[in-house]
Amino acid sequence: MSVLRGRLYPRGLSVCFSSVGIILFLLPALLPTLSHAADITLSSRTYLLHYERDAAGASERFTPLYEYLSGDAHGLGGKAISFHFYGWGRQDFGDETGSGKTAGELGSAYLQYLHPTGNAEARLGRFFLTEGVAAEIIDGVFLKSRIAYGMGVSVFGGVPAEATITSTKTGDSIFGGRVFYARPGYAEVGVSYLQEKGEFQGNDRKEIGGDLWLRPFGPVELIGRATYNNATSALAFQRYLVRLAPVASVDLSVGYEAYKYKDYFQAALNPAFLFPSIDNTDRVRTVFAVLDWEVVKSVTVTLGAKSIKHDAATIGDATRGELGMKYAYNNNRDAAGLSAAVVDADRDENAYREYRGYATCSPAKWRFALDALTQQYKQAISGTKNAYHVVGSAGYQLFEILRLSGDLTYTKSPRFDKDYAGLVRASLSFGSSTGGKK
Amino acid sequence: MMRRTRRGIVFGVVLTALLAGCSAISQSPSVPPKHPEELGGWTQVDCRECHSDISTGALKPYASFRHSTTFVRNHGLYSRQGQNLCQGCHGPSFCQGCHARKEELRPNTRMGDRPDLALPHRGDYLVQHQLDGRMDPGSCFRCHGNKDNARCRACHR
Repeated sequence: MSVLRGRLYPRGLSVCFSSVGIILFLLPALLPTLSHAADITLSSRTYLLHYERDAAGASERFTPLYEYLSGDAHGLGGKAISFHFYGWGRQDFGDETGSGKTAGELGSAYLQYLHPTGNAEARLGRFFLTEGVAAEIIDGVFLKSRIAYGMGVSVFGGVPAEATITSTKTGDSIFGGRVFYARPGYAEVGVSYLQEKGEFQGNDRKEIGGDLWLRPFGPVELIGRATYNNATSALAFQRYLVRLAPVASVDLSVGYEAYKYKDYFQAALNPAFLFPSIDNTDRVRTVFAVLDWEVVKSVTVTLGAKSIKHDAATIGDATRGELGMKYAYNNNRDAAGLSAAVVDADRDENAYREYRGYATCSPAKWRFALDALTQQYKQAISGTKNAYHVVGSAGYQLFEILRLSGDLTYTKSPRFDKDYAGLVRASLSFGSSTGGKK
Repeated sequence: MMRRTRRGIVFGVVLTALLAGCSAISQSPSVPPKHPEELGGWTQVDCRECHSDISTGALKPYASFRHSTTFVRNHGLYSRQGQNLCQGCHGPSFCQGCHARKEELRPNTRMGDRPDLALPHRGDYLVQHQLDGRMDPGSCFRCHGNKDNARCRACHR
């Protein structure tokens, strides 16, 4: 039994007609060649959850069933062409968890050609793309290749997958590209451009990006990227990192990040990032450092610090320190870890301490896991100063391709006096080849 | 007029790339579409156990891809210069396990049996996000800013 102090909100439900169109478009081309695919893998993850919520004096019982399906077919028609898809769907067997009894999304469905040289590739369909300034899901095409003298070029274009909410009268579109130079083992520098036609605070989205990876000598690496918002004519975002690995067991990094709300969030479609939800005149500058040290084989200690400063004298300045340890055992099949973090903030409402411990155990075909997390807020939230979250999991490899497992979750937090949630998981994986997926 | 010019530039670049075709492509080897061997173990794999050189495809040392805390927290910087090396081991849909568009199930709920993974939003994150959002909203924006997230819109009107 649980008590929810907040409100329950409907979740969005929409149908991606364009995704269906892509599948219908691709299927005729795929069917004759799938039988000749040398390498097919399919993965199904089924989750059945159960939890209860008390809101406004009424008790609701939720039992959603989620199915996540992904597949990859390499070597279509005996060529370096592959087809990949990923998607999920939900069916509620209890009260509605969203705005309807069902929901779903086609995350990707695309054909890919990988050329044997120059890292050249082509994609057609719906895919998740990270390329320079772009980190998008688009329905379209992507072409990339290295060419002569260490230079390379990529172009992409199509319709953004979030087009259903930008909804311009003339339709949305997205295109861009990247030009880069790479010297093996020493440098890669790129300049990229992205333009998305949509309704972004009265403008299209126009971004120019720069990305950098340098390894000037041995153990030193410099990596970063910056984004110039051409729609607001300002540098919107930058993040740089110096990474040092003086010995194989040490990975030390120091970084800097800065962004301006007005310019970085101009392309936001989520009102949480727009005025009046936030003060859009603010700017954030962050300095952070992380030390990752394998003190002895299989035991890694992590030490981290982060300082956040806001230009506007409102709220948000904070310093975070963290210490963690991870021990891997059972031939790397299992791990145990402990961590602690302290956040000191300019306002007590942002300050808290966090402690976490976990361990897994995988004897033979069994797998057990326990994860415990607690947060101690400096200032009570809804009258509660401490939050607890514990997840216990047990699983069994029923067949080589089928694993069954279940989780029981206990939560006590400012939202819940006491909450128990259950999850049953069935993981099915099969394929005609070895290698690849981790 | 400007729109026509831009479309003309894009069309020209694509056409030039297609006309140049395979002859323009560098002859250096690509990243294999899949890692040739099954990668064993449940916890993270360290490329350096087998590779001490530079990836012929990604053109960076394998040591750069050691999945340390630094790498995991900054993997986006690497992936924006190319996804192929990642996909060779993780599979093409791996990224979307977290970077989805309308995701309803949190990654750490789906992978409750994998507490060893550095998955975001553990615990009752609907409470915790108020604190993180006030301090560093940019860390939220990368995944949630440009998404059709009706759940966010319910509160953030």
